[in-house]
Amino acid sequence: MGDPKIKFTRRDFLMTAGIVAGMTTLGEIPGELLAAVDRKNLVRFPEKTDMILLTSRPPQLETPMQYFRELITPNDALFVRWHISQVPISVDLKEWRLKVGGHTDKELLISMDDLKTKYEKVTMTAVIQCSGNSRSYFEPPVAGGEWQNGAMGNVTWTGVRLKDILAEAGIKAGAVDVSFNGLDTPPLPSVPDLVKSLPVDKALDADILIAYEMNGQSLLMLNGFPARLIVPGWFATYWVKALSDITVLSEPFEGFWVKTAYRIPDNPCACVAPGEKVEKSIPINRMNTRSFIIDPEEGASIKANKSVDLKGIAFSGGYGIRDVLVSVDNGKIWSETKLGKNLGKYSWIQWTYSWLPKKKGKYTLMVRATDNNGESQPFEPRWNPAGYMRNIVEKVTVNVL
Amino acid sequence: MASALDNAQGQSGSGQDKSSVHSITLPATEVTLKPGLGLDKVRTLCNICHSLEYITMQPALPGATWSAEVNKMIKVMGAPINEEDAKVITEYLSAEYGTGK
Repeated sequence: MGDPKIKFTRRDFLMTAGIVAGMTTLGEIPGELLAAVDRKNLVRFPEKTDMILLTSRPPQLETPMQYFRELITPNDALFVRWHISQVPISVDLKEWRLKVGGHTDKELLISMDDLKTKYEKVTMTAVIQCSGNSRSYFEPPVAGGEWQNGAMGNVTWTGVRLKDILAEAGIKAGAVDVSFNGLDTPPLPSVPDLVKSLPVDKALDADILIAYEMNGQSLLMLNGFPARLIVPGWFATYWVKALSDITVLSEPFEGFWVKTAYRIPDNPCACVAPGEKVEKSIPINRMNTRSFIIDPEEGASIKANKSVDLKGIAFSGGYGIRDVLVSVDNGKIWSETKLGKNLGKYSWIQWTYSWLPKKKGKYTLMVRATDNNGESQPFEPRWNPAGYMRNIVEKVTVNVL
Repeated sequence: MASALDNAQGQSGSGQDKSSVHSITLPATEVTLKPGLGLDKVRTLCNICHSLEYITMQPALPGATWSAEVNKMIKVMGAPINEEDAKVITEYLSAEYGTGK
């Protein structure tokens, strides 16, 4: 149910619903409302820098890879992914309340002031990654959000523990699931509202936050202002934006976006043979281990007989990173890289390796990380029909001149 | 980059206090679709719930996949598309954004 306090004018409705016949040419759209689009398909949305456009309604924006040179992803470059078209575009903080209720002793109506003053303040750096990050690389191709590798970021979140909020409400015996709803609403009543759930035991994990700041500033509107769920180590589908309702349930949650969507094969690789259907599925959950080469870029030219620093990032599903190995000869020999500042088990870590290429020619660089649980990355791609959880060992080809 | 709300909180109110309201305006983008039989139906019907980049960002997909996607829009999302228009839309997508299989 949408919050009646969101200011949603008729013009906003027309713009976001798109139910305006013939609004198909540049001339019919007021100039100031057109996003700046350049030839590289970069757009600049409100509060954001130039980002790769996937879709405008609802907004889906991808981070250009160069921002991953930073340990912390700048707020204005963090990726954006909404599911249903009526996204919140105006929120009055004086009126907004986070409602907590259902199978609880008490019902709570929590204001932003309450969030900031009544509960223990927690700060945590955690990777946020879309379940379908890297989907565009699937072979055979999978329909959906066609991300390259930019639907991820590393952000320092500030908020309160969900556990503390639930303790105040008092969970009654027999609670099974907890559902989370945001201010976004569907374009038609038949479209399932974006509501996610977690099993109650998971919801009581002390590391799950209701965050109201990203990198020390209020959440950007497109990243879930005024508050969002943070489920560190798990894919971002659970990180519900513009939180408005938390409901404790005494029956299993049956909502579309958990029961039907966001399911993975129930096996260790979360995969099936390409093109095959899934027999038994479970809701997607923890992230797998990934690493990337950020510098040099694909196809770069490198000078022979001069040291160059190979650089990148690595992260896991909340188990930190044990080591990152790199190869400069397409996987024959592997060397340990130097790891950077450790911001905790949910953050990504930077790695560097000093390489002195002596011979001219084409080189295939590879990088492979292992987390503190021993989980690493496959050399062959894993396929599933929804295009989730890609974590193959990444390669970059460079030319030494 | 500071958000508009962080900037607004420094302003003194006069009359109604507006500094607690945080707003953005979303831009539209122009989407160019390939000309083909059924384009008008696609532009009108597929645009009701979402922008048309949902089509143009896809890799080339087999006809069966496009058919399944259109079916999902109707059966699961409740798109107001009748059987005849669904056929036209699927044929357009397969022809213009398909693998040819």
